[in-house]
Amino acid sequence: METPDRHGTAIVFPGMGPTPFANVAKFMLINAHARELLATADEVLGYRLTDRYQSAAGDYSPAGQLAFVVNCLAMARWAEDVLGIRPRLVAGPSFGGRAAAVYSGVLGFADAVVMTARLADMMDEYFAAEHPELVTQSMARLPEAKLAELRAELDGQGEFNDLACQVDDDFVMLTVREGILEDLQRRIRSLGGMPLYTMKPPMHSHLFAALGERVDAELFAGLTWSDPALPVVADQDGRLLTTGDEVRRMLVDGFTRTVRWPVVRAALAAQDIGTLHVAGEDRLFTRVTGTTRAFLVVPVTPQLVMRPVRRQLPSTVNA
Amino acid sequence: MSEMNSAAVKTGQTTSEWDPPFEATIRPYLPFLSPDSPLTGDADLPDLGLDSVGSVELLAALETAYGVRFKDDALKLENFASPDLIWRTLQEKTEPDD
Repeated sequence: METPDRHGTAIVFPGMGPTPFANVAKFMLINAHARELLATADEVLGYRLTDRYQSAAGDYSPAGQLAFVVNCLAMARWAEDVLGIRPRLVAGPSFGGRAAAVYSGVLGFADAVVMTARLADMMDEYFAAEHPELVTQSMARLPEAKLAELRAELDGQGEFNDLACQVDDDFVMLTVREGILEDLQRRIRSLGGMPLYTMKPPMHSHLFAALGERVDAELFAGLTWSDPALPVVADQDGRLLTTGDEVRRMLVDGFTRTVRWPVVRAALAAQDIGTLHVAGEDRLFTRVTGTTRAFLVVPVTPQLVMRPVRRQLPSTVNA
Repeated sequence: MSEMNSAAVKTGQTTSEWDPPFEATIRPYLPFLSPDSPLTGDADLPDLGLDSVGSVELLAALETAYGVRFKDDALKLENFASPDLIWRTLQEKTEPDD
């Protein structure tokens, strides 16, 4: 890649992807930062998170979500200690907003544990009753004009379609009725695009305003929102958020507004950010071409953290 | 030992169908495959670290390497489950790029 002519560093907390316990078990059980955060999480939750995570079913169990936040924050702390990173800005697209709120200093870690656990329950309850027909379909290789063509056809058929997430210039997620998936995927392919995974429940749609309002009133109102020590780049429009209230609003908006990662990237570049340290396993935002072309991306993963360090023996040992 | 022999046989059977650029194009997208390990035709590519974004990147790399365009049924994620499936897709379901 070209080395960006920008010198600042930002930290990015990734959106959540499926993470089997086995992939992170060693890191969680050995890494000092992870252990410290886990001790707090266990105290807040009243159970051992690693036990719950190990036996959890599904890719996005509540325990898996909590563990993802713990691990991302532990990796960020490790990167400060070992790599000496000193980021100027924080971004946390989609699920990454939870860890971003803690790292930036907006939420205490214990509050983030409460928030993540309750959010998982509230979202389960909401989607068990609402919008059972909707899914979010991700698709790559579909440039703006082709996407517009696809959406115009859906509009013409009277089919609901809502842009949940723009990952890259030709990579988006669209919320639609599950019943049209087969036809939709065929049409995406005929336009030269590649349908990827389908998410249920769906996410980031104006239809979910009631969920956002309930979360804000029943959960966020009980948490302490401090002003961030590091500005947070808003998912939805790339604004630099410098107050706790603004970050709280961004997390509420996360339920209802499209995540626009290219706009976040542009905001980071405009702030002279050339390097992104990605704290946690990212399967999406910092992997796509538009990101890797514009930034030096440094993944900080459990595999990197747990890599054995070759220690230099003192020269007197063999003397 | 029997496992090693089995892997060698599989490698011999499948790679004989591939041309040299094919494996060289795939390998960079398999972070969990060590450089000295053989790549068998039936290898489980997701297990070797090929996720959906990696598949999209690999698809573009194959299009560039072979001067073809993946279209319609070729654009299914399940075509990227193993090297044999990708090779078959490349041979049977792509068109020359104009």
